[in-house]
Amino acid sequence: MKLEGEHVFNGPREAVWEMFYDPEVLASALPGTQKLEMVAENEYEGAMNVRIGPVSGSFTGKLVISDVVEPESCTLTVDGRGTPGFAKGVGRVQFIDQGDGTTLMKYEGEMNIGGALASVGQRMIDSVAKTMIRQAFEVLDKALEARLAAKASGSEVVDFKPPSETEFAAAVAKDMAGGLTKIPEVRLLMYIIPLVAVLVLLAVLFRGCSG
Amino acid sequence: MAGKYVHQSILRLEDPELITGNVQFLDDIELPGMLHAAFKRSDYAHARIKSIDVSEARKLPGVIGVYTAEDFGDYIKPGPLQVPPPTAIKGATYVARTTMPIAKDKVRFAGEPVAIVIAESRYIAEDACDLIYVDYEPLEAVVDLEKALQPGSPLVHEDLPSNEAGHVRQERGSWEEAVKEADLVIKRKFFINRNAGAAMENRGIIVQWDKHAKQMTIWCGTQSVIALRNQTAARLGLFESQVRVITPNTGGGFGPKINTSLPDDVLITYLAMKLDRPIKWVEDRRENFLATTSERDQVHYCELAVKRDGTIVGLKDFFYHNTGAYNPYMMTVPLNSQTHTVTNYRVPNFLTEFYVVFTNQMIVTPVRGAGRQYGVFVMERMLDAAARELGMSPVEIRRKNLLPANAYPYYTSIIGQDFVEGVLDSGDYPTSFQKTLELIEYDKFVNEVQPKLRAQGKKVGIGVACFSEGTGVGPYEGARVTVGGNGKVVVTTGYTSQGQAHYTTFAQIVADQLGVDVKDVKVITGDTGYFGWGAGTFASRGITVAGTATHLAAQKVRQKALKLASKILEAPEEELELADGVVRVADIPSKFISLGDLANLANPMRGTMEPGAEPGLEAVAYYGPPYGATGAGAVGLIIEVDPETMQVSLEKMAFVHDCGTPVNPMVVDGQIHGGIQMGIGDAFYEELIYDENGQLVTASFMDYLFPQATDMPKKLVLGHMETPSPLNPLGIKGVGEAGAIPIPSVFVQAVENALQETGVEFDRDTLSPSRIFTYVQQAKGA
Repeated sequence: MKLEGEHVFNGPREAVWEMFYDPEVLASALPGTQKLEMVAENEYEGAMNVRIGPVSGSFTGKLVISDVVEPESCTLTVDGRGTPGFAKGVGRVQFIDQGDGTTLMKYEGEMNIGGALASVGQRMIDSVAKTMIRQAFEVLDKALEARLAAKASGSEVVDFKPPSETEFAAAVAKDMAGGLTKIPEVRLLMYIIPLVAVLVLLAVLFRGCSG
Repeated sequence: MAGKYVHQSILRLEDPELITGNVQFLDDIELPGMLHAAFKRSDYAHARIKSIDVSEARKLPGVIGVYTAEDFGDYIKPGPLQVPPPTAIKGATYVARTTMPIAKDKVRFAGEPVAIVIAESRYIAEDACDLIYVDYEPLEAVVDLEKALQPGSPLVHEDLPSNEAGHVRQERGSWEEAVKEADLVIKRKFFINRNAGAAMENRGIIVQWDKHAKQMTIWCGTQSVIALRNQTAARLGLFESQVRVITPNTGGGFGPKINTSLPDDVLITYLAMKLDRPIKWVEDRRENFLATTSERDQVHYCELAVKRDGTIVGLKDFFYHNTGAYNPYMMTVPLNSQTHTVTNYRVPNFLTEFYVVFTNQMIVTPVRGAGRQYGVFVMERMLDAAARELGMSPVEIRRKNLLPANAYPYYTSIIGQDFVEGVLDSGDYPTSFQKTLELIEYDKFVNEVQPKLRAQGKKVGIGVACFSEGTGVGPYEGARVTVGGNGKVVVTTGYTSQGQAHYTTFAQIVADQLGVDVKDVKVITGDTGYFGWGAGTFASRGITVAGTATHLAAQKVRQKALKLASKILEAPEEELELADGVVRVADIPSKFISLGDLANLANPMRGTMEPGAEPGLEAVAYYGPPYGATGAGAVGLIIEVDPETMQVSLEKMAFVHDCGTPVNPMVVDGQIHGGIQMGIGDAFYEELIYDENGQLVTASFMDYLFPQATDMPKKLVLGHMETPSPLNPLGIKGVGEAGAIPIPSVFVQAVENALQETGVEFDRDTLSPSRIFTYVQQAKGA
């Protein structure tokens, strides 16, 4: 499965690059991450909880950053295995200075998925991956804001609270449902259900009245 | 002989209990001290196993044992062949790589078991599976049939020189001569996809070992109790009589339940004995998709040699057949494709050749139709292609080439799955084709209805196809008929039932012979404790082979009854009749003896018996045909395609079928309905899809679509014909798979007809709205 896209960060390239190299920030961008620690230069090991539709479980994996051209681009290689299956992927990430104080991040990659994730989660993987990435960017935007604010005010402490696992899951669900209301059948349901409720209410009232 | 019951649509005797829920399916069975099994399955389609760490799983409370291949030692070896190899076919080559009960060193398909957990409950067993850590070294997966045979392809079985599992080439006449004689040679390539059996009830097994009686009891919804018993006994070093296999009520078989050496059969029997506790395993739906056998993909390269007037001179069919990671079922499915390609038509020269290919996918074994539909698909599609090029209608070209009614017996020169030359025993294809055209009102549709609707912008289309179905093949089946002291009759047979109404149809046959009420005949199937001989339920052979054995056994009992009654009533046998549960003098009905009393008299408690006499009113009979009986028919289908969504709705279907004598016409209709549903699934909904890494991406009903009641044709008309088979006394032919066979052929033709202005031609047997759209765009662009 191919993953590609781009995102604009409100901050200079160096700050964005620094943020990406901070395992705390990366870990918080995807709640469900139980741990992410550096085991060697540009090598991380981590554990993560994953839920896609009816499939859930924990993953352990390795993340290797290679072909590093600071602060322009790098290649990320992920190899994760767990009870719901396995996921292997390679992605290329680019950071482009837009010249106006913002940074454009472009990414493209390939993921190979197997096990229960692939056999049962198939029709959800695409959309869940996209919404997870979208949510992750929102978290990173806030994290970047907090870091820049801290820098500006000269304080050491970065005032930033990453969302909890439940908050994140709720945001992903809302995101997906947001897309859902664009589907006509779902729209129709949203009219029919209150209509049915009103009819039931009327029926009850009438029965009550007819003594 | 005209019977009171055979040929009548008696309501099914098993239905009252089934409908009120008074029956027992496998998962209903609970035994004291019963343990539960779960399998840890491979996520990779092709990988080496570097290590398996089960230490944490073993520590989980409630886990009795966790086992890998290492723990079983020598017990783990490739299983037995489910069918014998095709040595009868000259020049056939094959290798046997049969199913491994558990992966050892290497996994060859996604879903292959690498460990088994036995625990106090299924929940604990599955939790323990999550604690098993397997270190895999992933290998490149073999998924494309043609690439798999190219040099340099990864090998599924590394001890073999290639992924070729077998090769068969059969020829009738000479294809080379046909090409010379022909005016035109048409070439096409077809893709046939993979389908699951998807029975409503998943597979499962319960095994109990009694260590004092040294007796094993197995409950399993298997399609062959005898094979399961014999293979289990052989594996465990027991007598066959020490193993009893019982089938509870079974929720559908459709083919995959014919396997008797899959991992659960092999491992759970062993562990039940070793742990001395009963063990139950029932698969969940995802396991059913991943790890229960499914059926085929094939790639066909076909050439049809014809004359300008549409007469077929010859057909050549070269194809690749996917057997999955192992091939315990050898070549049954592709042989069925071979033997059903030209069976409806006069094809003087026929060359058919296939290669069986190993891939990193699930093992292929028959599913309803068992490959027959692809032979039919090839022929019907080539006829349609020829009709197009010659400017003939699909009806014209078929009429020109159908075998006439006096062609029988017709020797096909092609050897089939029963390893003898296929012989068409009887039939009348032109009449069934004509009847179909009348029932679907072909001329009226093409001349009046279709033009009118097309003018309104409705894309309606019609298709017609002919098919045949080889049924009732050997080797044999047997039955025992016994009259009880209460005058009622028990029939036992080694044949198994998954819902085919055997409890009614076999009773009808016996009731006719013995003059009893059909409700007084009890049928017991699929229990080796009662009857220990037989091959199994497959290839639509129940009513033909087991039904005939039942008939012969009942006849023997009838003879015994007449002989004994003649002595007791002091009247010659010719003057006696069996009716209303008694034997009586036909002209003096008051002179009678009840069957029950007769049965008791036949089993004296004291005194002497005549030398050579057998006690009781009981007889066993076996029946094995020299070759299978061929059912046949034709189907017509009218559909409408939505021009924007490409959704196809089935407006009307006319299905004409000839199964010889129908023992119970209502049951025959039911079989046809069920087959049609599976055929519609094959044509438009069902597809097992493996990605390029060998991952099955359609492992639930969310993705594997199944036709529902609302997807059946709005109008379904069944027509019947009877050309009795000369091969058995009742003239029966099988019908179990008929409905499924011609549907993909007629469906594709009808859609092409509906979209004829685009010139679209389909080369696949499974369509979908998006596929139709893509093909139409390509046709328009071309």
